[in-house]
Amino acid sequence: MQALEYFLMSWADPYLLFLTAAGTFAGIYIGAIPGLSVTMAVSILISFTFKWEVNAALALISGIFLGGVYGGSRSAILLNIPGAPAAIATGLDGYPLAKRGEAGMAIGLTTVVSVIGGFVGIIALAVAAPAVSEFALKFAPRDYLMLAVWGILLVGSLSGGSLAKGIFCGALGVLIGTVGLDPMTAEPRLTFGSLQLSAGISYVAAMIGFFGVAEVLVQLRELRQKAVRQDVSKILPSWGLVRKYLPLSLRTSSIGVVIGALPGAGGDIAALMAYDLAKRSVKNPSRPFGQGAYEGLVAPESANNAAVGGAYIPMMTLGIPGDAVTAVIIGALYIHGLKPGPMLMVETPHLFWFIVGSLTLANLFLLVFGLSGIRLFTKMVETPKAILLPLILVLCAVGAYAINNNPVDVYMMLGFGVFGYFLKIYGYQVAPVILGMILGPLMDKSFRQAMISAGDSPAQFASEFFTSPLSAVILAALAFTVVSQTTAWKRWRSRQA
Amino acid sequence: MSNQDARKPGEVTFTVLMLVGSAFLLWQSFGISGFQSWSSAGMFPMLAAATLLVTGLLTVRHLLRRPAAPDSGARAFFAQIAPLQLLGGVGAVAAYMLMLQPLGFLPSSLLFLFLSMRLFGSERWGLNLSVSVASLAAIHLVFSTVFSVVLPKGSWLVALLPI
Repeated sequence: MQALEYFLMSWADPYLLFLTAAGTFAGIYIGAIPGLSVTMAVSILISFTFKWEVNAALALISGIFLGGVYGGSRSAILLNIPGAPAAIATGLDGYPLAKRGEAGMAIGLTTVVSVIGGFVGIIALAVAAPAVSEFALKFAPRDYLMLAVWGILLVGSLSGGSLAKGIFCGALGVLIGTVGLDPMTAEPRLTFGSLQLSAGISYVAAMIGFFGVAEVLVQLRELRQKAVRQDVSKILPSWGLVRKYLPLSLRTSSIGVVIGALPGAGGDIAALMAYDLAKRSVKNPSRPFGQGAYEGLVAPESANNAAVGGAYIPMMTLGIPGDAVTAVIIGALYIHGLKPGPMLMVETPHLFWFIVGSLTLANLFLLVFGLSGIRLFTKMVETPKAILLPLILVLCAVGAYAINNNPVDVYMMLGFGVFGYFLKIYGYQVAPVILGMILGPLMDKSFRQAMISAGDSPAQFASEFFTSPLSAVILAALAFTVVSQTTAWKRWRSRQA
Repeated sequence: MSNQDARKPGEVTFTVLMLVGSAFLLWQSFGISGFQSWSSAGMFPMLAAATLLVTGLLTVRHLLRRPAAPDSGARAFFAQIAPLQLLGGVGAVAAYMLMLQPLGFLPSSLLFLFLSMRLFGSERWGLNLSVSVASLAAIHLVFSTVFSVVLPKGSWLVALLPI
C-alpha cells in the first residue's frame, strides 16, 4: 500500500507532474536534434538540480531519459540522422518510409511501439529490481570491485570500440576519480600540490565537457552538412496497424529489457539486436527490410525504450550503470546524498517506487507529446547549427559554473571538452571515462576493504575468488568479456560460423 | 587494406602523448605511498596507471601496424582533424569562459552568442542578435529563478557600478 502511495507521488503533486511532463517534452526535442544527445541533456541538467529536492530532480531526469531515447527516432526518420545512438537502426527503414511520403505514419507507429516498449521495461523494473536487490545484499567488497570493472569493460567494448582503448578510457576515468585527498588516510593523491585538486575533480564538469562541449566540437567540424526537409501529414496510426505489430513489439521489448539490464549495454545495442531478430524472424515483412518495412521500425523502437526500464535495474540494485545515461543518473543520486546499490532499496524503498511511478507517468506523456506538436518539431529540428551550437555552449558554461559557483570548473569543463574531442575523433569511447570517474572511489574502497579482509595478502585475495561461488561467477563473466573481445576469439568464432 | 583502416593525421602523436602521460601518472602514483602495503593509499591509483600504460602500449602497437594515411602531415591534420572553424570555435569559447567572471554572465554571453553565430556561418545579423537576446533572457530567467543558479555579475561591472 505504501509502495502505491510512493508510486503515485509524482502523479498527485502538481509540481512533480509538471516537471515530469516538462522533462519528457524537453527529452523528445533534445533527443531529436542531431548533435544533442540525451546524455548531454542529463549531464547539463544535473548541475542545475543540485539545490533541488531529490524527487523533483528524479522526476525531471526520468522524463528526459524516456523522451530522449524516443526523440532520437524522429530525426532518424525525417533526416536520416539518428538523434541518439539508440535510433541508428530506426533510420534504416524509417528514412525510406519518409521518402515514400509516409513520415507521419512512421512517427505515429514509432510513438505507439515506444510507449509499449517503455511499459514492458517499467514492469520488468518493478518486478525484477526488488529480487535482484535482495540477492545483491550477499555481495562482498571484492564482488563490487569486479562488478564495477565488468561494467566499465562492457561499456568500453560493447559500444563498438577496441577493447584496449575501452580499458584505457576506463582506467583513465578511475585514475581521475582518485584525485584528491584519500578518504581513509587523508594523504594527497595526484594533486600536484594544488589546493583546487585536493577537493577532487568534479565529474559533473567532466561529464558536461565530454558529452556537451566535445560533441559541439565534433559538430563544428561537420558544419557544412545540410538537413533534408520532409513533409509530415497524418500521424495517428490505425488501431489495425498497432494490433498487427503488437506481438513483434512485445517480443522485441523483452530483448530490450534483457540487453538494457546488462551492465554497459544500452538502448543502442538493444535496438540493433532487435532489428536483427526481426529481420531474421519475420518471414513476410510489409516491404523488404531497408526499404521501408514497418517491422524495421517496430523492433528497434520497442527495444530501445524497453531498455530504459532494464537499464535502471543494475543501477538501482547494484549501483552499476546500465549505460552512459544511467552512469550520469548515478552521479545525480550521489550528488543528492544517495548511494545506489542494494542498500538503497532497503533504506529508501520510497525512492524506488517513486522512480517507477515517474517513469510510468513519463511514458504516458510520451504518448501525448509524441502524437502532437509535429509542426513545432519540424521547425526545431531544422534550426541551423550555427545558431544552435553557441546556445549549447552557453548552457554548458552555466551548467559547469553552477556546480560550485567557481570559474575553475568552467575551465576544467573546456579542457575535458577539447580532450574528449580528440578521444572521439581517434576512436576512443568517452563513456568509460565517466563511468570510471564515478565508480573509481567505490572500486578503490572495495579493493582496499577486500585486501584488508584478506590480511593484505594478494594470494589470499585471489584465492577468495575461487572459494566463493558468487565471486567465481562474476570473475568468469569478466574473463569471458575480455576473451570474447580478443582477435583470437573473433577468428575462432568466424571459423565456427 | 581499406582506407578506413588508415591512421588519421595526428593519431600517432596523440597516442604517444597519452602513453607518456600514463608513464608520468604511474610515477606520480608510485610517489603517493610506494609499495608500503596492498591496501595503502597509492596502490589502487598505481594499478589504474599501470593498466593505462599497458593498454596504451597495446594501442600504439596496434596503431603502428595500420598503414599511414596518404596525406598525414601537419597540413592534413589542420584540414581534417582541427580545421579553422573548429580552432576558431575553441578560441571563442575559451575567450568567453575567461571573460565570464570579469565581464559578467549577460554581457559576455551576449557577445559570445552574437559573434560565434556569425563565426559558425549564420550571416543574418538581425536574426543572430534577436536570437541571442531572446535566448539569453530565457536562460537568465529560467536558471536564476527556477534553478536558483547564481550567475556571475562581473567583477569589472561591480567595480564600476557598485550594486
